[in-house]
Amino acid sequence: MKRFAGRSFRVPSRVFSAPTILYPGLDYELVDLRGILDRLGYREAVETRDLQPGRFVWKPGRVRIHLRAFAHPSRPEPERDVVLRLAGRTIDAILELPRGREVGAVLLEPEPIGAYYGPNREQRDLVTLDDVPDHLVDAVLAVEDQRFQTHPGIDLKRIAGAMIANLRAGSIREGGSTLTQQLVKNFFLTPERTIKRKLQEAVMALLVELRYDKDAILTAYLNEIYFGQRGSTAIHGVGEATHVYFGKPVRELSPAESALLAAIIQSPNGLSPYRDPERALKRRNLVLKLMYSQGRIDSQDLEIARNAPLQLAAVTPDLGDARYFLDLLRRHLSESYDSDVLTSEGLRIYSTLDRRLQRVAAASLQDGIEQLEKRYPRLARKDPTEALQGCLIALRPQTGELLALVGGRSYAVSQFDRCTQARRPTGSVFKPFVYIAALEVQNGQPFVTLADFLDDSPLEISTPQGMWRPENYDHKWNGRVSVRTALERSLNVSTARLANDLGIRRVADVARRLGVTSPLPLVPSLALGSADVSPLDMARAYATIASGGIRPDTQTIEDLVNVRGDTLERRRLRFERVLDPGSAFLITSMLEGVAKRGTASRVYQTGIRGPIAAKTGTSDRERDLWFVGFTPELVAVVWLGFDEPQSLGIPSSVGALPIWRRFVKEVTGGQIRGEFRRPSDVEIVEIDPETGARALAGCPRRKKEYFLAGTAPDRLCPAGSELRREGDRRREVERGFFEWLRRQL
Amino acid sequence: MAAPSAVRRRPSRVGRLLPHALAAALVVGCAVAPVRTSREAPGALRIRDVADAGDPQRRASTRLVLDALAAADAQYAISQCERAIRTDPTNPYAYLALAAVQVQWGDAQRGVETLAQAEQLFAPEELASPRVAAHFDGLRGRALLRGGSAAAGEALLTRAARAAPVVWSDGWLSSEELR
Repeated sequence: MKRFAGRSFRVPSRVFSAPTILYPGLDYELVDLRGILDRLGYREAVETRDLQPGRFVWKPGRVRIHLRAFAHPSRPEPERDVVLRLAGRTIDAILELPRGREVGAVLLEPEPIGAYYGPNREQRDLVTLDDVPDHLVDAVLAVEDQRFQTHPGIDLKRIAGAMIANLRAGSIREGGSTLTQQLVKNFFLTPERTIKRKLQEAVMALLVELRYDKDAILTAYLNEIYFGQRGSTAIHGVGEATHVYFGKPVRELSPAESALLAAIIQSPNGLSPYRDPERALKRRNLVLKLMYSQGRIDSQDLEIARNAPLQLAAVTPDLGDARYFLDLLRRHLSESYDSDVLTSEGLRIYSTLDRRLQRVAAASLQDGIEQLEKRYPRLARKDPTEALQGCLIALRPQTGELLALVGGRSYAVSQFDRCTQARRPTGSVFKPFVYIAALEVQNGQPFVTLADFLDDSPLEISTPQGMWRPENYDHKWNGRVSVRTALERSLNVSTARLANDLGIRRVADVARRLGVTSPLPLVPSLALGSADVSPLDMARAYATIASGGIRPDTQTIEDLVNVRGDTLERRRLRFERVLDPGSAFLITSMLEGVAKRGTASRVYQTGIRGPIAAKTGTSDRERDLWFVGFTPELVAVVWLGFDEPQSLGIPSSVGALPIWRRFVKEVTGGQIRGEFRRPSDVEIVEIDPETGARALAGCPRRKKEYFLAGTAPDRLCPAGSELRREGDRRREVERGFFEWLRRQL
Repeated sequence: MAAPSAVRRRPSRVGRLLPHALAAALVVGCAVAPVRTSREAPGALRIRDVADAGDPQRRASTRLVLDALAAADAQYAISQCERAIRTDPTNPYAYLALAAVQVQWGDAQRGVETLAQAEQLFAPEELASPRVAAHFDGLRGRALLRGGSAAAGEALLTRAARAAPVVWSDGWLSSEELR
């Protein structure tokens, strides 16, 4: 009986995306403002006069939006009527009405991205009678139970009418049930149509009416009533139905929309306005007529509502791609909450997912793999469970917020998340850890600087399994190569030699500090990426580099609130320095070189502009293709391969790179913002690229290079030595003069 | 191969004299310019001074920071700073403000961690300026005091007070002072 009080409905927890922030200067086309408004159920109006919440008017050069109030846990956002002044593709200014005050930013409510259902997969959004407009109650009562307010639970007049109809038909066609009876049936009884079951229903309805008042029964009914299926989920209650059919809160329903909801209660799937709009419209108008004949609306309202077209919410595209994220979130939440709590307590989970990035990530991965299969038919498989797979994960490096996650090609085919649950050999994307270990200062000095050279000649390392002889991708040796070149060309031999000289433990330690949690066997081949690591680990480690050596906690949740709106959990940003900013900058600069001149140079091919640091990775026999890259504001990892490892026969720059490039190009509009900032402990010194010596003005070849303060080479290029002696003498004279001047002043 | 010196031209007379003339002008300029005392030093950084700096994303983020610093409620201020960071994750002022709020409301350890991120994002020359450095010293000093390192904390607070006496002489940075 408690269920009538609304306490024990199973209400799934809902997950929301991060809110969209609108501000002057924002490219509203890039963020797809119209699409967001559409998905949030905002309706386009023609007139700006009396613009209601949830409506907008889009005119050339300006958009007026009456933003809905929403209860975001960190701050309840009030209802706001704003005008966005547009200039080209950007928002030029935001003015808040009625005064026209200019505001810096406004928030659009977070978009729902999914829910955690119980065993019956019931989707429900609880409402109270105060939330429900009178015309919705009137519409439901008009068509389902017009004497609800006066009968004691059963309606004898209606039962008599139903009996006559059934006798005429020779079978049970009409039930004559009141709302109370329908409610009792849904809660406690089976749907069979027998006399015994009808009698039980009647008795229980009378008991319920004796114990509960009409408002409690009506509230329970409005929250319980079935409104059809959306995919595999059952829509229950007017709150959820309003979201599904009209994309807005129940309080914003118009009389015509209320009549439509009441109309489809009789047969939600058969009368679905999506399936048969004409039939639904006809039945809606019948409800309106009943409302008029029962004196619930006047003739003017009837006319307006009858002429209103069906304005349904766009069918939300399948969020299959976001379901990997929902699964990850669920795994995170299950550490603190019972599964039953998640599926029945109606929690509201505000996540970090960026709906736009997620969509672009899914499309980039899907299209990228399909194009590869077309270009290399040998990669295509008939059985989707054996198909070439991939994943894409994107983080915001400074905060660790997970912005997009696509764990595979199709969630329907495989729910295994290759970004967070799989561990695969990383190939060369592991190499930067070797170079970090070599560049950072240990015992007062770095092992190498960017002026040094490595040996890329044949190498043999003795291991317990036998002699290990690494080779380069092209099976050639390169002799003496600069540190930068070794990484830019992803040379295996020189990198393996460097790691061996450093000690593999030191390399593993760097990977650990940066955020790799997967097991790392301490073998020489670790330097070339032989260890199995998850793409999430890789994303975290590169995020640490991108944020200058500060490792952020990976975040999937911003806030978690219960059904009453109390905050249960608020995840705060956390930062931990695990690498000095100078070393982080040096490796970033090297990875920029990889993107500009090295194995990842194709990343700039389709017109992306701005700073990119990236690394390709192709595992042994080309069974795993990796691409990890970051900009000052975004780090993304792409992995491609078969679940049962097989050779793809192509390098990462052909397989994974184009997917990363399309993703980043689309989310940034092709213009990457910001810069990789040089920290104060890194100095720029000119060197002779041939010798690595410090270059003065007289040196024939000079190149600017970065060094941790105090680690630049002392020795001079041959032509520079003479100049230095001359310069020293001149500087001494100048110093003497200024010293004299200072004393005089 | 010809020696590089064979093709090098001898600088003109003007070319040779110009550096000396510039050096002389610099010396005279330094001599006549008033010497800036610490009392006349510019005040510490205030976020509103940089509200209009940067691209639209930065400006929107900084406005959210100003909003955060105007709030009386710590929870709201922190959320708003985090929102500013999400709007522009490379905005150093957003991290500085978040760190200040964290230190102010007792979460000193987290404040110091956030300061490290802010430090990362400031341009080195900006970071070296006393206007900004004062806040870093002061906030770290306060955090050290809270953590029980009185001597180290006092030393940093003294340095902050010397660099920005108006703000830091009382050893405290209010949201309004940073705003």
